[in-house]
Amino acid sequence: MESSASSSPLDPRGPALPTGPGLLDTTVPGGVVERRRVGFEAILAPRNVFLWPALLVVLALSIFPLFVSLYLSLSRLQFTANGIDIRFIGPSNYQVLLFGSEQVHLIGLLKEPTALGWAVFVGVAAVVGWAFWRAIRGGTAGFGLVLRGLGGIALLSLTWIVVHTIFATGGRPGTLLVTLTYVFVGLVVQYALGLGLATLATLRLPGRRFFRVVFLLPMMITPVGVGYLFQMLTDTGKGPLLPLFQAFGLYHFTWTTDPWLARVAVMVGDIWQWTPFLFIVLLAALEGQDQEVLEAAHVDGASRWQAFRHITIPAILPVSTTVILIRMIEAFKIVDLPNILTNGGPGTATESVTLQAFFDWRTQALGRSAALAYVLLILVTVIATAYVNLVRRRVAAS
Amino acid sequence: MLNPLRRRSPLDLPPVAKLVAYALLVGWAFVVLFPLYWLLVTSFKLPIQVEGGPRYIPFVDFQPTLENWRYIFVDLRSDTLRPYLNTVVVGLTSSVLALALGASAAYALVRFQYRPRVGVIGLFVGCLVGVALATGFGVPLPVSIASAVAIFAILVATIARRFRRRLGNADVAFWLISQRILPPVAVVIPIYVFFQRLGLLDTWQALIITYVATNLPIVVWLMRDYFSTVPLELEESAAVDGASPYRIFRSIVLPVSAPGLVATFLFVLVFAWNEYLLALFLSSARAQTLPLTVAAQNATRGPQWWYMSVLILIMIIPVILVAIALERYISRGVLVGAVKG
Amino acid sequence: MVSRFRSIAAAIVPMLVLVACNSSASPSPSSASPSAAAGSAPAGSAPAASAGGGGQAFNGVEVNVLTFTGPQIAEPLQRHAPEFAKQTGAKINVVTVPFSDLYQKVLTDISTGTNSYQAFVFDPQWMGDFVTPGYLADLTDKVTNDPVIKWDDIGPFFRDFSATYQGKVYAIPLDGDFHMVYYRSDLLAKDGLKPPATWDDYLSIAQKYDGQDLNGDGTPDYGSCISKKRNAQAYWFITSIAGGYIQTQGTGQGAFFSTDDMKPLIQNDAFAAALDVYKKTTDFGPEDELNEDVGATRGNFVTGRCALSMDWGDIGTLAIDPAQSKVQDKVGAVILPGSKNVLDRATGKLVACDATTCPNAIDGINHAPFASFGGWSGAVNAKVDQKVQDAAYAFLAYVSAPEQSNVDVTIGKTGFNPYRTSQFTDTSVWLKAGMSEQAAKDYLGAIQASLQSPNMILDLRIPKTQQYQQVVLDTAVSQFLAGEIDRDTAMKQISDGWEEITNTEGRDAQLAAYKASLGVQR
Repeated sequence: MESSASSSPLDPRGPALPTGPGLLDTTVPGGVVERRRVGFEAILAPRNVFLWPALLVVLALSIFPLFVSLYLSLSRLQFTANGIDIRFIGPSNYQVLLFGSEQVHLIGLLKEPTALGWAVFVGVAAVVGWAFWRAIRGGTAGFGLVLRGLGGIALLSLTWIVVHTIFATGGRPGTLLVTLTYVFVGLVVQYALGLGLATLATLRLPGRRFFRVVFLLPMMITPVGVGYLFQMLTDTGKGPLLPLFQAFGLYHFTWTTDPWLARVAVMVGDIWQWTPFLFIVLLAALEGQDQEVLEAAHVDGASRWQAFRHITIPAILPVSTTVILIRMIEAFKIVDLPNILTNGGPGTATESVTLQAFFDWRTQALGRSAALAYVLLILVTVIATAYVNLVRRRVAAS
Repeated sequence: MLNPLRRRSPLDLPPVAKLVAYALLVGWAFVVLFPLYWLLVTSFKLPIQVEGGPRYIPFVDFQPTLENWRYIFVDLRSDTLRPYLNTVVVGLTSSVLALALGASAAYALVRFQYRPRVGVIGLFVGCLVGVALATGFGVPLPVSIASAVAIFAILVATIARRFRRRLGNADVAFWLISQRILPPVAVVIPIYVFFQRLGLLDTWQALIITYVATNLPIVVWLMRDYFSTVPLELEESAAVDGASPYRIFRSIVLPVSAPGLVATFLFVLVFAWNEYLLALFLSSARAQTLPLTVAAQNATRGPQWWYMSVLILIMIIPVILVAIALERYISRGVLVGAVKG
Repeated sequence: MVSRFRSIAAAIVPMLVLVACNSSASPSPSSASPSAAAGSAPAGSAPAASAGGGGQAFNGVEVNVLTFTGPQIAEPLQRHAPEFAKQTGAKINVVTVPFSDLYQKVLTDISTGTNSYQAFVFDPQWMGDFVTPGYLADLTDKVTNDPVIKWDDIGPFFRDFSATYQGKVYAIPLDGDFHMVYYRSDLLAKDGLKPPATWDDYLSIAQKYDGQDLNGDGTPDYGSCISKKRNAQAYWFITSIAGGYIQTQGTGQGAFFSTDDMKPLIQNDAFAAALDVYKKTTDFGPEDELNEDVGATRGNFVTGRCALSMDWGDIGTLAIDPAQSKVQDKVGAVILPGSKNVLDRATGKLVACDATTCPNAIDGINHAPFASFGGWSGAVNAKVDQKVQDAAYAFLAYVSAPEQSNVDVTIGKTGFNPYRTSQFTDTSVWLKAGMSEQAAKDYLGAIQASLQSPNMILDLRIPKTQQYQQVVLDTAVSQFLAGEIDRDTAMKQISDGWEEITNTEGRDAQLAAYKASLGVQR
């Protein structure tokens, strides 16, 4: 009997559907899952009734805003007596953001890289080139090859920016790089913490239920509330952590004047808030494992670590990849924490792309705000597609 | 669930490891609970006690007061209770709806094979854009929708055969999750105008529909994974016995994936409960929700921590209760016996 | 059960959409808002009477007033609503939203034709964006003959500048906002120091007290606390410091742009000096000062942790509240410090003060008190029915009337600060509120000196004001304070940014708007 859990749901070919008499067999008479229907009845087939209500609801609210945003990003708004006057100005907003007066804000202050910077760039370029060469040798062609090429170019551009801002004297990263830092550092820590806590929470320890509920709490606080909560906690004048700082001899400690410390504070808040998300999904996955397999392995003499590595990890891999993708997409939209903790300061150090879009939106630069949102959309789509493809190759290979 | 005759299982640990594990759990519990304790304590402080420096223990460091709670519940009575009611109604309704619609869609994406044609999708989007343009030029909405449907039907019947390239289930799923990429700030004004045209501003319906639409992708993605771990034998044996797909879904698949359902429900509830920006714009006087009240405590005087703490605490209490009630369903044990025999 | 749910949902949703689509064709001003019966003519109502007319003049009329969540500003409105209802029969709903989103809410509501709000209590700086598209009702005729509001009692600055735009009255002042410097009167008296008159004085006093224990709790405190947080109030505070260097010839001269060609008054020695002063005060402030907004600095000052601070009028009333303050009766207020050297606009350099360069100087020092923010004012939505407009105006006039206003400004919780002449002349109300005689004289004296100064700076009120101040100025100042950019880069960034906005909007249009906002019409 095949199990349908063999391929990842991220597989673009679709899940491996079973063959033989089964769900889609239309020749078995009577009440098999799906009868062949024609005409109007075809609309009411289970395959449509299950799917279309959800699709319709999402479509209703997604298409219109998407196109309106796109149009807004190519125009300028004026408020007049007759309503809102939208004037088409072409890619001018994008030009300002990427090459014009907002470039330093979004991309960063670009300066000459150090030797280390050049080394990093060359290294990444080599890896990209090698991967591309391997793809050609492996037979990928046509559309797939073009996509890989574009992905490689995107990665190289990002590396170029990183090298010219962070690995350069006098350079300063813009909101784009800050957002990427928030996302990837946060994701790694949140996944590690979530998995560790979920594993601990499945053990037979007293008070297990208490811990499970407690660990869920941070996620339940409204993001605006978490922002203010952390503002209270990190306040070095009246926050509760003051004795802690003093104990470490950092009496006049302040993290708001240093750009990287301020970013760390935002990341700490973000991790505290969203680890429960990964915790609960991984917990449900760990709990859903087939206990018989685990016990059989134990009987066969496998150590706990071996069982974990060879049975548990593959079993929760599909769920892990999904939850990482979801969390990654959400993380790119981080806005409340930097907004409330530091209002994007000191200077522009903690500002994320979404926060920059929010500031523009709030001060009526709606066209530029939409353009920023679209830049983010393109970036995240590229990264998400690359991620999905990478995972597919990994899973298909295993 | 504890069988006194149970064998040693992988989940039993040697004492030392148990201690370490326990210490780690307690450590993280402290990290989680201390900020919440700080919220609790702050809600009983006067402004002067907050601004002067950290005070930790009531009655020892400072004199607690009920002033803030009184202000929120008595002075601001309706301005607190009305948003509370709105949050509860909107949160619960949209979560249940999102779960129902999303779980169905997820099941469909796992069990049925969809191969939409790229060309047909293009036509569909084109017709939608046509509707928007026509409405923008003054054509009444029902007329433009009707004609777009007609045009679409005709085109599909005639030239759709030419379109070869097809997509798969994973593409549908990817499209769904890509709806979450655009930050709310980019879509808030179009959605506002959308509901204004429908006359639904400042109502529960607008918020519920919006939250269902924005949270559906998450439900679909999470439930796809959980459904794909349901053993196919269960469903096949039921199908052979003559059960309809609806029956199979309801009686077999859903109960078996209860842990995933519960986890997903909690998320969607949390997302809808705590959402700020869309709630701010889709409500004006009557449908305001609690996140707005929390954010509003930061006014010209600076953040009023004392009121904010009260509001945050009362906001999370119902969600905690729901989590406590549903937590047991995440445990193992629901699956026991299902696959045997 | 789930499948039944599902199929019901699948059936209902499209039906809902279709029904809703058919029910409303195009939005009309009040049809899309189910929240208030605004604009509907009541049955059996008395003929429209002007504000203050007797009897139930507005029976059945309902007005939604939008402002931000209080208790500041919202509380007095909510308190006066039932009183007004009893007098006139109008129902006033005070709707509140978070402060930072108030501007967006008002703009979106009116510009899309929703009109769920018929009146607003808002920041008069926004008039530049709201008057041009015709969103606000012209109230000139109403105020000229209204016995309730006593228009001439309102301080000339607020009457002639804050409330008017292009010569017409669009806003009813409810509150007077401008910056002052507060100091610990007990400390300065003990050391025989006079309150700071120039910014150099301010810095030296701050330096003297920085590091000492000023509130007796054993920890070292700070010399000066000024808000420097990004996207908070820093862009007002920098103008408060720069004003004394830049504006000398009276309000009509303006402090932001040249009235000849709309060039920003930024890249010059005066603004450079102001930036230096602003940055220097950080040395004497809390470690966290770069992340403190005005709420935090206020809190620091009234718990005794600062020797000096700069703020709106709130510290005065906060200081006497025992629930908030440790420095009751130890607070003094003074007009914003000025400068002995002022800007020569032709050369961009600083020149010494004399009779021509500083005609408004006091003791040889040019003061330019900055009416930052303008003062919360009420305005009426021009797109709603006339009757509703009348009722809204009547309510705002009622709240602004001396009978109500003079009491409200003494209560710190209301957020209303003095703006009427009658509020300074009678100290008894303040004494009753808890101020000592000396503190009241001090506080009111400082306010009066500021209000009556002919050189008061009017806050920027042209279209796209928020972009000039909040986006360009604030970002550059914040980056400068954080050390991300140096002073000259900051000035260039502000200047270039402002020029970009001016050019996009149209230089002539912006210049005309700027001059109009500075002109006084009687």
